[in-house]
Amino acid sequence: MPKLIIDDIPVEVAPGTSVLEAARSVGITIPHFCYHPALAIAAACRLCAVKLLDGPVKGIQMSCALPAQDGMVVSTTDPEALKMRALVIEWLMLNHPHDCPVCDEGGECLLQDFTIAGGHSRRRYQGKKRTFQNQYLGEGIHHEMNRCIECYRCVRFYQDYAGGTDFGVTGSAGRVYFGRFQEGQLESPFSGNLVDICPTGVFTDKTGRFRARYWDYQFAPSVCQHCSVGCNTSPQNFQRETIKIVGRRNDQVNGWFICDRARFDKGYLNDPQRPREPRLDGATCGYDVAVDAAAKSIAEFVRKNGADSLAVVGSPRLSLEAMILLARLARAAGGARICYFGDAAQQQGSVAAARLLHEENSAHIREIEQAQWVALHALDLIEEAPMLALAVRKAFLAGAQIFLVDGNPIPERNTPPFKYAAVESLDDVPFEGGGKGIVICGAGRKDPELLAHIASSGAKLVILQPGANGFAAGLLAQEHATSPLTELVAARQVRGVVCFEADVPEGLLSGLEVLASADWRRGPVEAKSPIFLPTTTWVESDGTAINYEGRAQRFQRSRVAGLPLKGLDPKYYGSATEAVTLHPPRVHRKDIPGGAERDAWQVMAQLIVRLGGEPVVEPLAGKWSALRSLDPEGEGVRIFDIVSGE
Amino acid sequence: MIPETLKTSLEARVASAITPREAAVDVMKELQTHYGWLTDEAVGEAAVLLGLSPLQVEELATFYEMIYRRPVGKKVIHVCDSISCWCADCDTIIQYLKDKLGVGLGGTTADGVFTLIPCCCMGMCGDSPAMSVGGVPYGKLTPELVDKILEAERNNG
Repeated sequence: MPKLIIDDIPVEVAPGTSVLEAARSVGITIPHFCYHPALAIAAACRLCAVKLLDGPVKGIQMSCALPAQDGMVVSTTDPEALKMRALVIEWLMLNHPHDCPVCDEGGECLLQDFTIAGGHSRRRYQGKKRTFQNQYLGEGIHHEMNRCIECYRCVRFYQDYAGGTDFGVTGSAGRVYFGRFQEGQLESPFSGNLVDICPTGVFTDKTGRFRARYWDYQFAPSVCQHCSVGCNTSPQNFQRETIKIVGRRNDQVNGWFICDRARFDKGYLNDPQRPREPRLDGATCGYDVAVDAAAKSIAEFVRKNGADSLAVVGSPRLSLEAMILLARLARAAGGARICYFGDAAQQQGSVAAARLLHEENSAHIREIEQAQWVALHALDLIEEAPMLALAVRKAFLAGAQIFLVDGNPIPERNTPPFKYAAVESLDDVPFEGGGKGIVICGAGRKDPELLAHIASSGAKLVILQPGANGFAAGLLAQEHATSPLTELVAARQVRGVVCFEADVPEGLLSGLEVLASADWRRGPVEAKSPIFLPTTTWVESDGTAINYEGRAQRFQRSRVAGLPLKGLDPKYYGSATEAVTLHPPRVHRKDIPGGAERDAWQVMAQLIVRLGGEPVVEPLAGKWSALRSLDPEGEGVRIFDIVSGE
Repeated sequence: MIPETLKTSLEARVASAITPREAAVDVMKELQTHYGWLTDEAVGEAAVLLGLSPLQVEELATFYEMIYRRPVGKKVIHVCDSISCWCADCDTIIQYLKDKLGVGLGGTTADGVFTLIPCCCMGMCGDSPAMSVGGVPYGKLTPELVDKILEAERNNG
């Protein structure tokens, strides 16, 4: 373990740590652009100069490319190093347009911070600046090549880390250009990370350009709900609209990055057409009126048909809190049936995962990265868990063999960033020494027997869930021995349903009476339901989600519920009938327009009380109470101990 | 479209390389000889031959100054403007070439014979100022010598 001294502070670091990282570990930030913890060293910007006063190396050195060694005495404040940094940043800024007041990166610009930190504040250069033509890079990313300072972070991420081949660096000397061969949509499903990784404003999020500045945003730690990986994100909101979604570092789940779906798929959160008003028989009403009516309707149905013929239906879209309360609601309704899944195949796979996985055999992302072989079982990885493709790529680059077992041909747009061999069955995969091998299963075909066979082989397992919180749904479905809705309906056991953010399979609704439903999106269930209760999305609610590896993570409300100010319905401007120009509301009101939504678990809690159950103080009760103190900014906890500890 | 014979020989060249990327410069130069310059079409063909994306070929093509991504004249003049030649007053030579040929840097003469391009070192520092015409190196340049070289190069095809 090398021991060195940085600015009179003794530091001991792991072998291979750079001087820049060693300094950072004791709170000294050396200005830098090209260095990024997730990427290989480039030493391209020459900004992180320090002076070595004593030890095996002497003089001015680039701290990002210099491994810490025993006996080094480093000064980050030596006048010579300061002078060098000031001069380097001055020439790095030679071609930069300094258009800070109009640059979309304003407030999030690393260049601005480190230019000042590097000691350069006055422009001396009077000559002409180099200029470039920008390229159209698709609907997600805006290109502004003139702001480039050539740190190579974008190309190092895009080609080296994410395996993309259609974006790179062309030219040399003063003509270095970062872009594509021809204008067009970036092909990598991870292209959005260019926004986060670019220290200047070359790549910005086109979907949220010029809407707000960093200091305008409301944001909170959140967890992506687009697949079961559970990547950590931070939705950035302004005036009740989710403007941008950026990645949030969690080394146990997604590292530094997120996929494009997590970043750009956000239109539904802001959709002015989202159902936002409680409804009773087609007319809007107060929330309590709707809840009362729902409770009455449930009680009446149970009295007439028996609790047995009623099902409360949830889905993997619900938070863990809501899933727990779903079971309590069923009890309060006199013993109604519980469904966490509409579809039998989905439930089968999820429950099998909850039953088979435990602390030892459930692989997390670090283990995928270090695997010796990976078998993708009937799986389109980019479709079902894009971020895991980057982990598999890491393993591939380190020499792991990748197999696609029994898979359909992968569509071209979803070609994974690694080479693989297609094989017929798992027997063709060398299982010997399975400790470093990993089988990743898709949500599509999860035969429990097959899963049990794989689990017994000694290989580690990744079973991807249908939906962000599928693991929790599987756990609770197993705990309460529930049946999927399709089976209950087929057996004519259920005639009425109360749905909470449920995805009821098509064709099932015709034979069912929907008593009430609660959701944040429109759909056939909502259309058929006489009582409708709007709920909040994951951006507007607190909750817990359990990802594919059994890791519980807390997400926090990052904005209040309500219609985005932009595109507010004219009826909120004073008149429901007359056409009015878009203007702030002319009627005084205390409530937020369209802000009646409540978290699904709160709706359930109210129903429970109205049906004569015990009031819910805290949904995470019993064995789940261990999760109450879960830190949303932490790495999450695996729930296997909690589940088995009952 | 490149002829089948050229394609076959380039495929053999790629196959004999330890990694395909290693053969990239050879492939690009051959295609350049065929087309006169490395056209967009040639970049695409090189990409197919090398198993790279067009962008990855473009990265290499635009890095090397002997690969021409725009049309050039019959003979390309690379005149060195790097440090040694600059000390030996290459600026005068470059200006003389511009005046004599009637083109700026990057330009092609009206008769399509010469294209003038600056170059950042030809390894002829000892004979600076230096240039090459159609791949033939010339050193210790003076305006008079430049006249003779251009005359000779123009006449010998």
